[in-house]
Amino acid sequence: MASLMVRRRELFSLARILSGVSYLGPASLSVCSGHRKCNITRLHLPLTPSTSFHTTVLTSAAQSAITVTEEPDTLFQKLVVLVKGHDRAVLDSYEFFATMTAKELGISLGKVFEPPKDIERLTLLKSIHIFKKHRVQYEMRTHYRCIELHHITGCTAQVYLEYIQRNLPEGVAMEVTKTAMEKVPDHILEPMWKEIPTDDKPSQ
Amino acid sequence: MASRTSKTFLSLGRINIPLLGFNKSSGKVKYATALSINSSSGNKGEFHCHYKGIYAGEPRTGKMPVDQDWTAVYPAAAPFRPGSIPLPVRMGYPVKGGIPPEKKGNLELIKIPNFLHLTPAAIKKHCEALKPFCTEWPSALETDTKCDEHFPIKLESKEYVSAGPSLRNPSARIVHLRVKLSSLNLDDHARKKMIKLIGERYCKNTDVLTIKTDSCPLRQQNYDYAMYLLTVLYHESWKTEVWEAEKTVADMEDYSWEDSPSQKNILDVLLRMKVAGEGDGEEVRQQLLGRKDVQDYKDSVTRLKNEGESESSMLQYKEAVKKVFNM
Repeated sequence: MASLMVRRRELFSLARILSGVSYLGPASLSVCSGHRKCNITRLHLPLTPSTSFHTTVLTSAAQSAITVTEEPDTLFQKLVVLVKGHDRAVLDSYEFFATMTAKELGISLGKVFEPPKDIERLTLLKSIHIFKKHRVQYEMRTHYRCIELHHITGCTAQVYLEYIQRNLPEGVAMEVTKTAMEKVPDHILEPMWKEIPTDDKPSQ
Repeated sequence: MASRTSKTFLSLGRINIPLLGFNKSSGKVKYATALSINSSSGNKGEFHCHYKGIYAGEPRTGKMPVDQDWTAVYPAAAPFRPGSIPLPVRMGYPVKGGIPPEKKGNLELIKIPNFLHLTPAAIKKHCEALKPFCTEWPSALETDTKCDEHFPIKLESKEYVSAGPSLRNPSARIVHLRVKLSSLNLDDHARKKMIKLIGERYCKNTDVLTIKTDSCPLRQQNYDYAMYLLTVLYHESWKTEVWEAEKTVADMEDYSWEDSPSQKNILDVLLRMKVAGEGDGEEVRQQLLGRKDVQDYKDSVTRLKNEGESESSMLQYKEAVKKVFNM
């Protein structure tokens, strides 16, 4: 939960820079359901009716439109999401959720496959004292699921990853490998001394 | 009182089975619980909480319309509530000759994470709300080759999300910078010097330089350091130092036939064979070098030395030697 809070704060600050959406104060609401408290970020949109989310209505003074800044968006050639868990059925459901989200948001999906599971086994003594011949064996199974996405922009990647990570079930871990693309920076196009004819080549 | 009700429940459990079997075989899709049997445990029936004395009423599942909005029942992640889910779910290891236990009071169903808040309808609604924050991929960069042409530098980094005593994962600071040397502005000398400078980090087959930085604690710092290293390598490889003039044949990356023992040998052999007819002399050597079969021999030897031995290169060498000796 704490990790989600950090991410949300990051999203807030970055969202302010990139998209200029104005949030009213903390702008989050808690829905108490059963024993757990979940925070849902309220998104200010002109179109969404609040009743569809079954949330309490916050009074907003003016519904702000999403603004676009001039800062160039990062481009990700590939985004690989690897989820690990102890239960294969949970990962199946999560894979369905992640792939459906990618389709809905219009992200091109690459391979979605299941790397082979890892089993870590331990053999321990059954008794606290003597009885060396009697042991007990435990094993820990880690199942994996890998989802590859291609050609995704920075904004879309942030939105997708935040949504996916907020809905990560308990007991499941995720590793995201991002491959960003960049142009060759200006100072590497030509050696520096070629532009300044008066300077000699600095000898080091 | 408690023991009586528990025994009744147990007996209920056992009696249920043939009844359920009966229901299934009759083909009716019936919402079956222990409800179907009993009226012996009190006039208020099932919904009487025996230790609180409260009449709880029928669970919500009995009153749910078929076309309800499920996103309103489970708007966020929540544990499994048997009274809110109108499905006859069973989970757990069955007793001998029995079936898995029902959902009421079933700890297995509560323990396992559920995705009831992420039904396709809910996902669609969430995505509709998230769509305005997404941006389109530029249409000019459809293929990978175009991406490589315009954006040759690739930066790879990893992020980790897991539960534990700390959020941070120190492996998240590592940055890999990959770039093809052919996309940088390097002349011949600069390219050779660059390859010598980077050593292990260069892959000859794919012409890719990989710089892995993990010495700084933050990813941003490692990224800056990687770009700094790339800049320094680039500028250093363009410089020519004084001592580079002492480069020997052993330092050369590729085999070059000019002024090699192979050239001397072939010229000596040809002169001894008196192919040209005259005596020894510089211009005779030049003339011999200009001949086509000597050029073919040169190509085959260069190929053998650079690419290593293979069927085709050995055959080429054989043909060239045969031509030189007119066999």
